[in-house]
Amino acid sequence: MGSRILALVGDCYGARGGIARYNQDLFEGLADGRTEILILPRHGDASGRELPAGVRQKTAIFGRLRYSLTAIVAAWRFRPIDTVFCGHVFMAPLGFVLARLFRARYWVQAHGTDVWKDRRGLVRRLIEAADLVTTVSRETRRILLAWVDLPPERVRVLPDTVQDVFRPGPPSPVLVNRLNLGKGPILLTVGRLASSERYKGHEAVFSVLAGLRVSFPTLIHVVAGDGDDRSRLEAVAEEVAPGAVRFLGYVPDADLPDLYRLADLYVMPSTEEGFGIVYLEAAACGLRVVGGKGGGTADAIPDERVGVIVDPADRSALAVAIDRQLRRGRADPTAVEPYRRAHFAACARALYARLAAQPRRTTAGP
Amino acid sequence: MCGIAGIHAYLDVAPPVDREELARMNDRMVSRGPDGSGLWLSREGRTGLGHRRLAIIDLSVGGAQPMHSQDGRLTITFNGEIYNYRELRAELQAAGRTFRTQSDTEVLLHLYAVHGVTMVGRLRGMFAFGLWDAEKKVLLLARDPLGIKPLYWADDGWTFRFASQAKALLAGGAVSRDPDPAGIVGFHLLGSVPEPFTVWRSIQSLPAGATLTVDAIGPGTPQRYYDVASALEDRATVQAARGSAGSRIADAVRDSVRHHLVADVPVAVFLSAGIDSGTLLGTMSGMGVPDITAVTLGFQEFEGQPLDEAPLAAEVAARYGARHILRTVDRAEFERDLPALLDAMDLPTVDGINTWFVAKAAREAGIKVALSGLGADECFGGYPSFRDVPRSVHWLRPVSWVPGLGALVRRGLSGALAAGLRLHPKAPGVLQYGGTWAGAYLLRRSVYMPWELHEILDPTVVEEGLRRLAPLSRIAAALETSHGLGDFDRVAALETSLYMRNQLLRDSDWAGMAHGVEIRVPFVDAFFLAALPAGPVLAGMNAKDAIAAVPEPPLPDEVRHRRKTGFSTPVGRWLNDASGAPQQQGIDLSAASRAWARELWRAGWAGPAAA
Repeated sequence: MGSRILALVGDCYGARGGIARYNQDLFEGLADGRTEILILPRHGDASGRELPAGVRQKTAIFGRLRYSLTAIVAAWRFRPIDTVFCGHVFMAPLGFVLARLFRARYWVQAHGTDVWKDRRGLVRRLIEAADLVTTVSRETRRILLAWVDLPPERVRVLPDTVQDVFRPGPPSPVLVNRLNLGKGPILLTVGRLASSERYKGHEAVFSVLAGLRVSFPTLIHVVAGDGDDRSRLEAVAEEVAPGAVRFLGYVPDADLPDLYRLADLYVMPSTEEGFGIVYLEAAACGLRVVGGKGGGTADAIPDERVGVIVDPADRSALAVAIDRQLRRGRADPTAVEPYRRAHFAACARALYARLAAQPRRTTAGP
Repeated sequence: MCGIAGIHAYLDVAPPVDREELARMNDRMVSRGPDGSGLWLSREGRTGLGHRRLAIIDLSVGGAQPMHSQDGRLTITFNGEIYNYRELRAELQAAGRTFRTQSDTEVLLHLYAVHGVTMVGRLRGMFAFGLWDAEKKVLLLARDPLGIKPLYWADDGWTFRFASQAKALLAGGAVSRDPDPAGIVGFHLLGSVPEPFTVWRSIQSLPAGATLTVDAIGPGTPQRYYDVASALEDRATVQAARGSAGSRIADAVRDSVRHHLVADVPVAVFLSAGIDSGTLLGTMSGMGVPDITAVTLGFQEFEGQPLDEAPLAAEVAARYGARHILRTVDRAEFERDLPALLDAMDLPTVDGINTWFVAKAAREAGIKVALSGLGADECFGGYPSFRDVPRSVHWLRPVSWVPGLGALVRRGLSGALAAGLRLHPKAPGVLQYGGTWAGAYLLRRSVYMPWELHEILDPTVVEEGLRRLAPLSRIAAALETSHGLGDFDRVAALETSLYMRNQLLRDSDWAGMAHGVEIRVPFVDAFFLAALPAGPVLAGMNAKDAIAAVPEPPLPDEVRHRRKTGFSTPVGRWLNDASGAPQQQGIDLSAASRAWARELWRAGWAGPAAA
């Protein structure tokens, strides 16, 4: 008999962003034909999409109370449940209650800032009650274990995976013509332009562009992404690097491989990435990358075959890193191979097999 | 006895093993194994094992490690000695296994190939090993039942590392040095760091009597295969064998000593004026062991005084025809050795100084292996705790039934009031802690009590450390059995699982290994423990007198009737002076331990930065 997973997630099919992508990858990895997964999202519409065998996604409900009540009803109908997967610490109270109520194993996923900053006693106890905690990076695991009292072997790392569409290739002539970015070189940054995510380091890059243009007069910085901070960032760019930054707005996932192939260097000196899947996507397309010191970036930029990590507070080091990486040419995409889906799926299944082999717990103790 | 290390990049995204890192880990343990060094990396470069060798059994290159099975499937790095390896070898040979060497290491490879992880239950000895199974792609770690040999591990979520010393893991350069409040609080409470904690958050001690398997997604939960309380419970419930308790003890002592003499180099003995080490020497002599060397530690300050153990030890050595080496230590030497001693000390501990000097003396005399009487007090009820802890629990249990009363009294006896009454600093906690087994034991063995910690440590560290450590639950866990234990066995389980394991055995390891001397402990042996009479029988007899009668001739009356002196060496005074505490008349061990704990922490670990 197969196994049943009730998944409480913020974003999944039909939603944008790295966490939505990660959850989809995870469920596709776990969907082995015998495992049933019922996804209860807060965002995203999966209607019209073909989901993997055994995977279903309910209609998204944003309101906290309605979501909780619907989850209890859905869980009751989904019985017997083997595992409650909690895709965000925000949902840990509900996840814990459902797991105990239905005598299921309790699996908590941590992405990054969700467990770096919220250190309330209740959150700690809810994480400590988990049978398995997975994090996307070693750094998130290290930070989590610094304030949560869990046996280290119970906290495992399941790094993000790179989609197969991200592969090296020639730039798309259509895109080249449409964007008309000139001779370049082209620096690229992809990410939300949110006032809550200024750690991504756009301004740090803007501040070194003028200096870089001494060596590379036609250099241009392409910024993909949208958000509530966009107009402010546009103003900053116009002030410190007039004419050197092009804002593209939101770029659909399907168009990203071509965008990466168009660029010469991926630059995002972010200090708080939970993982930084964009670094890997860029490298998988052959782009060298410059990442920021802090968070899970070190896991996404495995070594010099892919790029370097710098402290964005040190602007001269950032400028030197960009200069050097531009001169080194393309990244070695084989460095990204261990992040491909086959490895990810095998790891996800092994993790779940280990969890499923554990006896169910009915108390909150360690 | 050796030093072992290993790195396993288990997640596909992890970079391959860095040979230089493995070499740095191995080199940090050079004193553990001065006779040889080996590094091995798997063909794919994802697993690496290191070994420092102190050659004791099969001195040839055939015994070198890491060692591979003939088919290349298994590779092992092993620290310790398997005393029943000849029996196991014969059994495996009878089953058709072919051996290439005379070493006990090769026996482990064959035993694993036949029995898998359950092989650990067959081993009699002290051991810690890492075994790579290339076919199953799993790394197996195992540690002996009572925790004689240490084994530490660190896992960053991608890569797993292990070593005989926590400081070796740090020396590799890839393991985080974030401090662990649980270990820091544990050290200040108990004078040693309770396993599985260390003072570094990233480094764990594999519990004694446990195995750990690392597969493609990392380490699983450590699996216990031996537990002291359960072993004592089993011993108490099985039918008593034939013969008197005294004869059972004698048989058990002789059998254990015989097993602990297995070596291809001479085996010496550390001799004090006490019953335990004298019994070992007398038993060795009775077995016809030739040319035994006995090493005794003497202190210049005690010469000619009743505390001086040297004259009586010399008499015992002469009685059994041993070559006697008396090594005198003075304060100047202690001060000279202190930096090296702190460097060798793997985790902070308030003890181990005597072992450092006696091992040093052994090394100077060219001795590689020596027996020690460690563990007899735990087996035979030699500590005052065997009397005091049960008495405390029986008298004060009713007080513990009144919620909050003990805590109220303790708070009422504030520091100033207690000082005015000239009470011992721990005395205010008697009513609060004395009525439970865990509490009474903590009172007995603690250096500081929990309520005192905020005076010496950062309050955040204390709060977080006490929460993570949960000292009373942790102590009580050492008593968990299905049917419960008698009073004697309860104290024996506590002393064996906590004080002996975390303090005495760990100190023996680092202090002995710092001089390349293997310390063997015949009284610390699961087979020996099981062969002894049940706890209630031992409690009802004078067991120490019984072991004094094991040798032929028995130990002299002066030894049998000598009052236990414990820590009455000038080391207590030196520690006290070294820590800058006020001069005292005589030696107040408790005060010395407190002052020394603080000084030691400041000098060697504050940060904690030492490696």
